[in-house]
Amino acid sequence: MGRAKIDPITLSTVWHSLISACREMRYNIERTCQSYLISQLHDISVGIWDAKGETVAVPIGLPSQYLGGKFSVQYILNKFRKNIYPGDVFLNNDPYKGYCNHLPDWGFFRPIFYKDRLLFVTLARGHMVDTGGAYPGGYFPNAYDIHAEGLCIPPIKVFEKGKEQKEILELIWNNVRWPEAVRLDNYSLIASTKTCEDRILGLVKKYGEDTVLACVKEMKNRMEKAVRSEIAKIPDGTYSGEAATDDDGTELDVQVWVRCDITVKGDELTIDYSRSDGQRKGFVNNVFMTTYSRACASLFLFMDTSLAEYHNEGSMRPVKVVMPEGSVINAKYPATVGASPVCVGVQIMEATATAFSKALPHRAIAGWGRHRGHYIFGMDPRIGERYVQTTFDSDGSAGAVYGYDGYPGAATFNALGSVTRGNAEEVEIRYPWRIVRYEFAKDLMGQGKWRGAPGTEWEILNEGGDAAIATGSSDGDVTQAPGQFGGEPTPVSIADIIRGEERTRLKSHRMAQLKPGDRIQKHSAGGAGVGNPKEREPEKVLDDVLDEFISVDVARVKYGVAINPQTMAVDWEETRKLRAVS
Amino acid sequence: MYRACIDIGGTFTDCLILDTQGSLRAFKVPSTPRDPAAGMLNGLAVAARGYNKKPDDFLRQIDLIVHGSTLATNALLTGRGAKVAMLTTKGFRDVTEIRRGYRNVRTSMFNLFIPPYKPLVPRRLRFPIEERTLYTGEIVTPLNDGEVRQAIGKIKEAGVEAIAICFLHSYANKANEDRAAAICREMADGLYVTSSYQVLPIWREYERFSTTVVSATIGPIASRYLNRLGDSLKQQGFKGSLLMVQANGLVETPQESIRRAVYLLGSGPSAAPSAAAYCGRITGKDHLISIDMGGTSLDVSLIRKGEIPMTTECWVGDERVAIKMVDVHSAGAGGGSIAWVDSLGLLRVGPQSAGAEPGPACYGKGGEDPTVTDADLLLGYIPADYFLGGEISLDVDLARKAVQKVADRLRLDLLQAAQAIHTTVNSFMADSITEISTKRGYDVRDFALIAGGGAGPIHGPALAERLGISTVIIPRFAALYSAFGMFAMDIGRDYARSYHSRVDRVSLEQVNRLYDEMELEAQAAMKSLKMPKGEVNLARTAELRYVGQFHEVEVPMAAGKLTEHHVKEAVAKFHKRHQELYTFSMNFRAVEFLNFRLKATARKAAFQLEKIAQGKKKPEGSLKRRRTCIFNGKSFNTPVYDGERIRAGNVIRGPAIIEEQATTVVVPPAFECSADRFKSYILRKRK
Repeated sequence: MGRAKIDPITLSTVWHSLISACREMRYNIERTCQSYLISQLHDISVGIWDAKGETVAVPIGLPSQYLGGKFSVQYILNKFRKNIYPGDVFLNNDPYKGYCNHLPDWGFFRPIFYKDRLLFVTLARGHMVDTGGAYPGGYFPNAYDIHAEGLCIPPIKVFEKGKEQKEILELIWNNVRWPEAVRLDNYSLIASTKTCEDRILGLVKKYGEDTVLACVKEMKNRMEKAVRSEIAKIPDGTYSGEAATDDDGTELDVQVWVRCDITVKGDELTIDYSRSDGQRKGFVNNVFMTTYSRACASLFLFMDTSLAEYHNEGSMRPVKVVMPEGSVINAKYPATVGASPVCVGVQIMEATATAFSKALPHRAIAGWGRHRGHYIFGMDPRIGERYVQTTFDSDGSAGAVYGYDGYPGAATFNALGSVTRGNAEEVEIRYPWRIVRYEFAKDLMGQGKWRGAPGTEWEILNEGGDAAIATGSSDGDVTQAPGQFGGEPTPVSIADIIRGEERTRLKSHRMAQLKPGDRIQKHSAGGAGVGNPKEREPEKVLDDVLDEFISVDVARVKYGVAINPQTMAVDWEETRKLRAVS
Repeated sequence: MYRACIDIGGTFTDCLILDTQGSLRAFKVPSTPRDPAAGMLNGLAVAARGYNKKPDDFLRQIDLIVHGSTLATNALLTGRGAKVAMLTTKGFRDVTEIRRGYRNVRTSMFNLFIPPYKPLVPRRLRFPIEERTLYTGEIVTPLNDGEVRQAIGKIKEAGVEAIAICFLHSYANKANEDRAAAICREMADGLYVTSSYQVLPIWREYERFSTTVVSATIGPIASRYLNRLGDSLKQQGFKGSLLMVQANGLVETPQESIRRAVYLLGSGPSAAPSAAAYCGRITGKDHLISIDMGGTSLDVSLIRKGEIPMTTECWVGDERVAIKMVDVHSAGAGGGSIAWVDSLGLLRVGPQSAGAEPGPACYGKGGEDPTVTDADLLLGYIPADYFLGGEISLDVDLARKAVQKVADRLRLDLLQAAQAIHTTVNSFMADSITEISTKRGYDVRDFALIAGGGAGPIHGPALAERLGISTVIIPRFAALYSAFGMFAMDIGRDYARSYHSRVDRVSLEQVNRLYDEMELEAQAAMKSLKMPKGEVNLARTAELRYVGQFHEVEVPMAAGKLTEHHVKEAVAKFHKRHQELYTFSMNFRAVEFLNFRLKATARKAAFQLEKIAQGKKKPEGSLKRRRTCIFNGKSFNTPVYDGERIRAGNVIRGPAIIEEQATTVVVPPAFECSADRFKSYILRKRK
């Protein structure tokens, strides 16, 4: 290929067009799929890689679903080599063959050709309503091995040269619950990759393939340069962080630890997870790709924010990620991985963010409220059909960062706010459950100079028949997400099943039976804090009291701010005394 | 009798008057942001002088004023809305602050360093009330009147101006909201009270509550303004109807605009696509991209087959507004947009704008940052001595000084930097256009570009060149683009009924009944808008989706009594439209109806644009001067024509400049410009 000349304007246009193509894919999936989890909660990721499998555009998604997608793309290109054609679509969900996340996250890959030359590969990955296995949904503790968790699909062609491979898809759909629903969602994801192809071909026709490829090369080089200069600003040295999940779901009440050591040298750095716990029997194991994805996502958070939208392969070049095989952050077949996005996955982000916070204190980032998810499955007596229900509604909110309080409502550190919550009205129409309460909780966040966003009080009532609940996608009854520089960690969370007068604690990574009339009640922690709470402006503390985010007691004890409960004004003299003590 | 269309923007108030002969005349006066009504009356007074009439005589002879104002949008975007309290279902106090977890509305997910969302109604003013309705409409907990009364007590103490009543499932049964509203009116007379059922009777509480709160934030402001305006007009002798342009591109009475104030968002810009569609019709084009480029913002919309595009997916500032609005995409790009260099070494333009104060550096009002206008001046596109007909004289030296700053950082010479700013803002605008065209699967090359707004005719042609668009139309009233749109748009209302049913089980009797109901309502309403009977056009649509989907697709429905055949026809259209939009359709999958809609519009007032004198192909006598202009880095000794002397049939070969009173038309070297008899300039790429 001749060296195509590119001007800054073409570069900028190509760069933004590739990012826009990803956003459009996501929008189209939301508009056309039928899954509550995908359309309303956005448990989806999309991206674009080049013909070498290098990362080109990854603007939005859940990091572990796609950020390390280059490994999947390279695996597919390698496996199929000369047997890849325009109009092909590959399906893959296997963490051990094709570098995927946990099994419910099905990825559809489309190679994009221009005149028989492979230019790019695009991916649309979404969490399917079901993926087979012992129980619906994909988050079930105590599976014997990965095969018990669901269908393991290595990269296979589901479309070849534009022709649907009907028998293969039929086999797959025949082995999941709600096959018609899964079928529709598969088409929705596949259609979005077609849209991406249309957009890219439009770009190539307009500017020429050499120009577009030259732009992609330049995009990567510019990001590399920018990220290197950011890393160079960090003092050389080693910075550490650690975080734990409650347990692995099989060996109960034994915490599982992720430990991270970041060594900075000049404009490069190594993120080393070697001191983390070994591979577990339970379903919290992460695999190479997901750990790599989270290491990169954590790094991006600490770079100049004007780069945030543009990260690509160049951002990953100065980074080396070290993880010993056979450990909880790089598990070997046939280890179970069902809960890995939420448990250990989140901890990888927390431990890495803690280490980076030490390296870059003015960009400190505290942990978010842990995911307080669940899967409920039962019969909907209104229509006589089975259902499976999951949610982000019962999550707390974001942690603080240096300079700002946590973002209210944003759900799970693992998704960085790329997922959304549902509407109570939608939930009540779709599922035989009534939402009794869904609002912020008082005093349920990590306090700090910048405090975490509030936690959540959430309660629902079973108006359907007998059902079961699995809390594999939940964490934080025992362990806490870290605060930074004197900011408090997230408080612990609590969940109960209430049956008449009887209240039973429902811990994470467990299963329980539910009866009609049962209530599930969750008090879910908000985010962690940054900085010493005693340094928070008293006016802001008063505002929080007036808004009933915190109590007068917490204002006094933790913030050293005295508020007169009669006048609801700051008692300045008393406040000075309280703050002088510490 | 006269008709007036008046658009009040941040800088200018544009008045277009239609006289008895069907001719239009334009008047432009400065806006008076502190008292916009005064600006409007001033505009009408200036118009009266133009017709040699006394203001009160003139007002008495106006039978209709159609009015658009950015008042509501500005109040919301600048945080100057009214102080609002909320009554909401107990247990659901924080719906509008949790806001479904949306964090990355305009920010990358990898940027955590953003201030947390600040809700329009702070938590202390969100009062939980015991009450509960189910999705079936059944009330399981009646309204606790005592709690409402208690809350109102506190609300009055807090100095609140408006109350938004937001209860769960009120779309299915509004009784509890109505009861609470009645108590509010009884106890807090004088406060603006609105309820979610009234504003947006559609399921999904976050979207409904958010829209309702926005409506309450705008309500008191709209109410004050419209009441004052109505009184002043009446005092001055006006006896006709005043109608407000709505977000949905239709119009409403001031009374209804106050009641559902959220519809005043985009009042003004929402009329621009109608201007484009009109220009398209007189020039024989129905695939159009409309741009309205002013001082700080660019409003873009895409018109296919002459149809005005609509959306329900809008965010206005940080607020979700879920009403159906004209899909006008706004971006921070205008004459005042500031050029800067980012940390990747890329030149960027906007979204920061020098605004009207201090304005571009060349205004000489203290601005030091380089803006698009400064670059345009250096490139020779706009005259230093005839900007806005000479009202503002521009200082070339100040422009040079400002642009030099960017030139140094980019290691370019001055004119290269000016060219880069011009190209960058065009590229940004091109992205905005791509957003609504290419990104939605439409090839921009199939469209003609209609360029309105003060800066539109300067940048439109270069923008078209970049996008590969071969035709640019510059309407005669380019500088009063939205006001012209108000003449061109339909006057009417829309209606909707929800009826959720699979297509194979739908009761035709029910559907026919719903349309009959809506049509009766529409006829009555049009009568109250003083629209003659028999001139009302009723257009039906239905929204369908595949069973299980969350979003619907709108398709046209036949008029008259509907039969099985019409349902089949609608389903076929749905499959086709789904395929067009999303690259696939699923004939095997069951389809369901969700909503049935009706849009009632009256025939527009007949108007004609005054024709200009016919001239020869050669633009004789209109050459004003020559000056050096830069196109794509090359200097051209460019002829400058006087727009006032252009005749129909004149053809001007680029490069050329045409100086109009309120704008400048830039004809790049690759284009040829002809004037039609209505004095639209039509630029075509030379073969």
